Amino acid sequence: MSPSPSPAAIAVENRLFGALAVLRVVVLVNAVGLNIYRRGNFDHPVAAVVCVAVMVLWTGVAIWAYRSPRRRTALLLVADLALAVALILLTVEVKGADFRATIPGSWIIGALLAWSAHYRWRGGLIAGVALAAADLSRRQELHQSDYGNAFLLVLSGTIVGFLCASLQQMAAEREVAERAAAMATERVRLARAVHDGVLQVLALVQRRGRELGGEAAELGELAGEQERELRRLIQAQDSVAPSNGTVNVTAELARLERLPGVTVSTPGFPVDLPALTARELVATARACLDNVKRHVGADAPAWVLLQAYPDRVELSVRDEGPGVPAGRLEAAAAEGRLGVSESIRSRITDLGGTAELSTGSFGTEWEFVVPRERGLGSSA
Amino acid sequence: MSETEAPAPIRVMVVDDHPLWRDAVERDLIQAGLDVVGVAANGREALARFPAARPDVIVLDLQIPAPDGIEVTAEVGRQNPDVRVLILSASGEQADVLAAVKAGATGYLVKSASREELLAAIRTVAAGDPVFTPGLAGMVLGEFQRLSDAPAVDPSEPRLTERETEVLKMVAKGLSYRQIAERLVLSHRTVQNHVQSTLRKLQMHNRVELTRYAIEHGLDTEDS
Repeated sequence: MSPSPSPAAIAVENRLFGALAVLRVVVLVNAVGLNIYRRGNFDHPVAAVVCVAVMVLWTGVAIWAYRSPRRRTALLLVADLALAVALILLTVEVKGADFRATIPGSWIIGALLAWSAHYRWRGGLIAGVALAAADLSRRQELHQSDYGNAFLLVLSGTIVGFLCASLQQMAAEREVAERAAAMATERVRLARAVHDGVLQVLALVQRRGRELGGEAAELGELAGEQERELRRLIQAQDSVAPSNGTVNVTAELARLERLPGVTVSTPGFPVDLPALTARELVATARACLDNVKRHVGADAPAWVLLQAYPDRVELSVRDEGPGVPAGRLEAAAAEGRLGVSESIRSRITDLGGTAELSTGSFGTEWEFVVPRERGLGSSA
Repeated sequence: MSETEAPAPIRVMVVDDHPLWRDAVERDLIQAGLDVVGVAANGREALARFPAARPDVIVLDLQIPAPDGIEVTAEVGRQNPDVRVLILSASGEQADVLAAVKAGATGYLVKSASREELLAAIRTVAAGDPVFTPGLAGMVLGEFQRLSDAPAVDPSEPRLTERETEVLKMVAKGLSYRQIAERLVLSHRTVQNHVQSTLRKLQMHNRVELTRYAIEHGLDTEDS
């Protein structure tokens, strides 16, 4: 029944015994005061003085002894309880058979709680029963209040013991959780180091390949693809989506960088949106990019920017058509591109947002604003 | 200094724990006529060597043996704010890049950038101008957005002006400084100044935050 030697559990016990030390002094002062107040009740005043002196002495010894976990042996606890029981039993000799209050009075709570703290609920029960039995055994007549006090003694010893055990268990669990978290952090750190090494080599192969040309350039190209892929994976893993039906849209958008020429910019923090809203936004961006590929060129550069505000998100997709002058939109309409643009627009308006297309010397730019929370289709 | 005399080559220090990579970068820089005044394989070496090497630009890998790239950036800035730091990161991990920029880095590139991109970035950084990729601009925008959403603790906290936000947004959308200047009818220099000032405000905010943290935790008093 000895407590598990987990450092967290020992720390909890130390704190409990620290508090108990204060309590011991309080109940001692109370007991000494009461005995002085009732000094007329003693048949043997000298014996009474000896008893009180023993209580004072033992309180000091107990406070010192319980301070160190090493000294909290069965011997100490048994001695503590035995002394409390003995003082109760001696009351009848010192005060006479008609005594009402025992000499130690509430001082015995020190021993009771020591058993609760050290041996949990079983210890509290045993100590409570022992003290209650000693108290009741020497009384001539049993008052209702005597029984009530004894019952409370047993009950509180057990409950405090149970609470002590719970505290120790919680502390131990927290310690395990902290260790697990520290290990996870360390694992992430190691994974980073490994990934970083791989990325370095891939980037180097890509670079050297480009310089050497020929077949080496092809190898370098392959390494470059893998490098981009791995980097995206790491970033996506960094922003693991929460499991409450929302999706981190920045991680989803980052996947679009797989398309040639596409750059995606997002805030550095995760932006969680309802799954449907996120899906529609990504699909919209993809539709815009497909449009760019078709009408500007397969490798044409394009930029996706996501901005997150508390009440809305703003998504922009820009391409760099070669300095298309005014009238591009009309031209686009003539080419039949407006049909595509209408389908893009309706995706966003279905989400309760707005879509705007502008064009000029800077290229063509879609700007979408979608409200957060209140999105019409966000009930997914 | 006569007109014909070429300007002194840019002094560069390369910090990277991968010897192959370090050599490749060094070779490229020397070929391009830059002066590689020092190399280091970890943060400790970098901090020990940079005062004597007196580089204009430190090309710094983020993931190096301790102290890491972020700490080195902060320490270099403390010792000599004139030295520019260009971060070259393999993973481009967002949190790390943002932390490095907050610590005082002037530019950031992923390692897969081409030789030409690297050289252009070093020249830009050496001239005191920031190298902002659209990705970094997006992150910085997000950071200022997050700050302005938070309840204002201190009215002196740096905020972006509307113009700065506009310029940064355009950088994030992939427009070049020249294109931004054209679109906003500003000079190229003004656009650069706006970008530079967003970076300065971000770094200033970082210092304000650190100071507040220190005061809250009693680190500013001697007996803590």
